[in-house]
Amino acid sequence: MRLREHPRVFLLLAPALLVLGLLFGGGVLLGLARSFGYMPLLGLTEPNLDAYRAIFADGHFLRSLGLTFYIAFVSTVISAVLAVGIVLILRQTFLGKRAILFLFQLNITIPHLVGAVGILYLFSQSGALARLARELGMIAQPADFPILVFDAAAIGIILQYVWKEIPFIGIVALATLQAVGEDYEAVARSLGANSWQRFRYVLLPLMLPGVAVASVVVFAFTFGAYEIPALLGQHHPAALPVLAYRLYTDVDLAARPQAMALAMVITLLCAALIAMHLRLLRRNLRS
Amino acid sequence: MPHLPQRLRATLATAGLLLAASASAEQLTAADWAGIEQQARGQTVSWYMWGGSDRINAYVSEYLGGLARERYGITIRRVGINDTAEAVNAVLQEMEAGVDKEGSVDLIWINGENFRTLRQADAVRCGYLDALPNNRLVDWSNPAISYDFGTPVDECEVPWNRAQFVFAYDSARLTDPPRSMGALLEWIEANPGRFTYAAPPDFTGSVFVRHVFYHVAGGPERLLGEFNQEVYDEVAAETWALLNRLKPSLWRQGQTYPRDGAALGQLFANQEIDFHFSYDAAGYGTGVDAGTYPATTRSYGLADGTIGNTNYMAIPANASNAAAAMVVANLALSAEAQLEKAKPSVWGASPVIDVERLAASERASFAALPRHPSVVSSAELARASLPELLAPWVVAIEAGWREHVGSD
Repeated sequence: MRLREHPRVFLLLAPALLVLGLLFGGGVLLGLARSFGYMPLLGLTEPNLDAYRAIFADGHFLRSLGLTFYIAFVSTVISAVLAVGIVLILRQTFLGKRAILFLFQLNITIPHLVGAVGILYLFSQSGALARLARELGMIAQPADFPILVFDAAAIGIILQYVWKEIPFIGIVALATLQAVGEDYEAVARSLGANSWQRFRYVLLPLMLPGVAVASVVVFAFTFGAYEIPALLGQHHPAALPVLAYRLYTDVDLAARPQAMALAMVITLLCAALIAMHLRLLRRNLRS
Repeated sequence: MPHLPQRLRATLATAGLLLAASASAEQLTAADWAGIEQQARGQTVSWYMWGGSDRINAYVSEYLGGLARERYGITIRRVGINDTAEAVNAVLQEMEAGVDKEGSVDLIWINGENFRTLRQADAVRCGYLDALPNNRLVDWSNPAISYDFGTPVDECEVPWNRAQFVFAYDSARLTDPPRSMGALLEWIEANPGRFTYAAPPDFTGSVFVRHVFYHVAGGPERLLGEFNQEVYDEVAAETWALLNRLKPSLWRQGQTYPRDGAALGQLFANQEIDFHFSYDAAGYGTGVDAGTYPATTRSYGLADGTIGNTNYMAIPANASNAAAAMVVANLALSAEAQLEKAKPSVWGASPVIDVERLAASERASFAALPRHPSVVSSAELARASLPELLAPWVVAIEAGWREHVGSD
């Protein structure tokens, strides 16, 4: 039975695999060749590791790596914690629950770029909040408003990611809880567990696998995303993808291999995360 | 092939010529023009150009696009990019992959370092300017046109616009703006937090830093010509020291810089800073009319001069539709297209053609162009114009800034 179904499965997957293999796989291979300094058009035909050596020796790379990791980690943790908290409230029955649920999920449909522009309009030193503060006499000029975008702590970037990813993790958690139903909690209650204990020993373990999987996805995405740090980040240090793009558009053609090497490092780290994601997923399926 | 119709023969001959040109950069002459126009009919020109200005986009897509379709049966497909290097990368990658004739880029709005990169890689088509009828309107004896950031043009690109750097301020908030680089630097220190510049290699940020570089060098004279490491080291050290000294007085204490000229424009429009600057003086007029900038916005040049340059259209060596690209370039160079482009309501770009070479009626139309009160007169601006440096200087200055000023 299984054997007979295999060819059909492959046939059905073929279009997607073809696109992925050709465009993505081909792109990765070309990028890999260039990261080794192989660019025949420029007369570079001797593959070498110079680009990797150059980026690892460069202090900017390590600072950018640190910043990127920090942004991804903080965004993921805050999103996951808040998502779990909101889900606990949302699973209860209350008036207008459907409307609230709809609003909660609305963010998912809004593109990241639009969200980033919104953050800029709200939180920049001449944004809506700064103007309000000025109307209220709290600040005298833009520079008095706290620095929330293009800042060293990447507050603007993290705000944007948290705003966008809470509903994503939340929906996964909510789906998990709904699939489980209320029985386990009812049993725990009948055995005398208080609300904290019910959360800690019943709901959280049930939700955690789903939340963990969604969090890995969020981490991998925020780690490799270019547009948000490009729009809301400070000039230096810049997130890894921004640094890679800058090297890629550098007028010095010798910087292209470095840009590709950087892209390969990002790809490798993201691939490691996906591997972790798959392992978590498999373990969940088994249990 | 005596039995072939005359037109078809011309087409075939030109097709052969064009193919030959891509292989050996053979010279095209005025005699080839009819054939080129024939071959261009029905082609679509993919024109890669900086897409950050709605009115420039409209001028190209609607005005030039309309004329090209009506007169030559050519479709202009404008591809908006953020950085010309993206188009250069696309061409280089295709050629590297062996795409020698059917490249996706037919025309690039280009100058300076990007042009030099294309020439270095032998990835740009040369030797066809004599064939363009409107090439006679260009004054090639002007070194500001025949050299692109010091790189000889050598019939490898078609001039399109002249541009000169200007500063802008709000005359309602600032009555007497500093009119020299020295005075501006003093103003910045006296008014902390009210000035910044886009981080190079953004081109507006890069040209601002070059102005500081010229100021430190005591004028551009020592910097013209081939790159000189000794002079560079001396001037650069002092420039970076000056810019670092300025940092605490910049917007955000110089801890970050706006991404590009547009981000700088937002800060200026929101009154976070008091100065904007760009290569596009006409932009202040349209900015005021659009309500982005206050009506009291004024632009001006410096007494010690501001940097001017020429920008061009280049056809990649592997362009699929080279014939149509030539026709479009020739159209963009025509007196009527240059006049339309010079109208403040359209674009307001300075013509690259020599107006003196036009018929009296065309000259009069140029002379009668209205000027927006926010836009500095090009005559006033041209009185103090500074040359651009050779591309290696620009590259070195951008890299130096990143290393010594932008990374701390």
